[in-house]
Amino acid sequence: MIRSLLALPPGFRDLLFEEADRRRATESLLATEFSTAGYREIRPSTIEFLDTYTLGNQGIGERAFKFLDRDDHLLALRADFTPAVARIVSSRLRNSTGSLRFWYSGDVFRRPDPKRGDYSEVWQVGAELLGANGLSSDAEVINLAMQCLERLGCSDVRIHLNHANVFRGVIAALQLDDSSREKVKSFIDHKDARGLADQLRNIGAAPETVHQLQLLARCIGDASVLDVAEGAMTQSDSQEAIAHLRALGRSLARWGDRIVYDLTEIDEMEYYTGIMFTFFSASAHRELGNGGRYDSLVREFGVDLPAVGFSLAMDAVLGTL
Amino acid sequence: MDTLLFALPKGRLQDALMDLIGRAGIHVDLPGVSRRLTFPDRDNRFAFVSLKPADVPTYVESGAADVGVVGSDVLRECEPDVYEPLDLRIGLCRLVVAAPLDRPLAEGGQWKIATKYPRTAARFFAENNDHVHIVKLEGSVEIAPQLGLADAIVDLVETGRTLRENGLVVTKEVGHISAKLIVNRTVMKTKREAVQRLLKDLDGVIYANH
Repeated sequence: MIRSLLALPPGFRDLLFEEADRRRATESLLATEFSTAGYREIRPSTIEFLDTYTLGNQGIGERAFKFLDRDDHLLALRADFTPAVARIVSSRLRNSTGSLRFWYSGDVFRRPDPKRGDYSEVWQVGAELLGANGLSSDAEVINLAMQCLERLGCSDVRIHLNHANVFRGVIAALQLDDSSREKVKSFIDHKDARGLADQLRNIGAAPETVHQLQLLARCIGDASVLDVAEGAMTQSDSQEAIAHLRALGRSLARWGDRIVYDLTEIDEMEYYTGIMFTFFSASAHRELGNGGRYDSLVREFGVDLPAVGFSLAMDAVLGTL
Repeated sequence: MDTLLFALPKGRLQDALMDLIGRAGIHVDLPGVSRRLTFPDRDNRFAFVSLKPADVPTYVESGAADVGVVGSDVLRECEPDVYEPLDLRIGLCRLVVAAPLDRPLAEGGQWKIATKYPRTAARFFAENNDHVHIVKLEGSVEIAPQLGLADAIVDLVETGRTLRENGLVVTKEVGHISAKLIVNRTVMKTKREAVQRLLKDLDGVIYANH
């Protein structure tokens, strides 16, 4: 194949002058924001063993750029920051006490579908709070993310709030085998209410559970959707999750009607263990960022440490997609 | 309410889709040979754009279009990260494996398969533990076996006439195909009211007798 020596591989780009200035200026704004909030910067390694991305239910490993070291170990370019954080707190910081607050800024590398025009090198900024459980830590990271977005001029951001256990409680009640479970999750993920109903009928799901799943598919809006969901859920996991969301909403009251309770989404990879949130703006085609509580990931690395964090997709935030 | 940019697929689905949209109370006049990029419906709820079917998922996934309609054959092949909230029950057909009547596929062989759907075909044969080589074609797939390019094909079949005319018979079914409404993941959240209204209008006419 003939190719120009001057070309870049598909999915990559250079930042010149103003573009580079903008990145530096943005990073320095955010550095101040994080530092004021008591978060310290880390710069994880650019290369990891591939295992770092395949432990637990991350699902990012298959999209990583992989290669071999001299001993034939599989390596990967950084495909995500959170697993590196989990690795670091489980190794060098394993004896630290109290809660840990980190922030990072850097590029992640993911093999795109070449035909879709996605970039393979994507700038992310994020923060993680480890060693703290409960409402106040959940609210702390969401507040921090919102402050960062406001600082960068995103003034119409909506916070979509959800909790992994709302759906998990209901799905557990169905007692499905793996294949049916994947199908049910796929219909929920696609928002295909009729497809879901047919699938549930085929597997002979209890009418009560069918009703619950169909109801959750419509639960998006203000706090009244929590009342609706609470009225229909019988599983204690789901009930507790809804109560948690209600309390979280109260502690995020400063954001007013920018909070959207959104129980329609499912955590397909089953990665999150508590709250999940996504930031949207009417002026952006992609989500600005997301995050949640992922207590079990750090445990996979050998240390039992609760963790909650977020990451921002800087191209969506700055409109440079 | 927000205006939605609606990507329509040119070709096989177009007539049935325009009819369905009309029955759902959305009145739109196709612009004929006009070169105009987008055209509105009478109530200005939508701006429509006509695209090659295989481009519809690309536009909707990226957010260049808000919603679109595309056959599930195309969706299976390119697996875009979009919502698929509604089966429109139009453009019904089957995706099948078809081989020459006089040269059936030998059990346990390694077959050469011509298709417009290389990923879907590869997945299907892998699931059945069949070994195949895939040849990607852009059209007129049904003549490939006669010309010796492939042992069999994976293609859409509606009436079966084209297959018969080319001496092919269906040997396996890959799946049922129909047109689906797809919605951009962010638009589902940021233009929720407009999307929900569209879903309700379409659902009402498609499933009126259910």
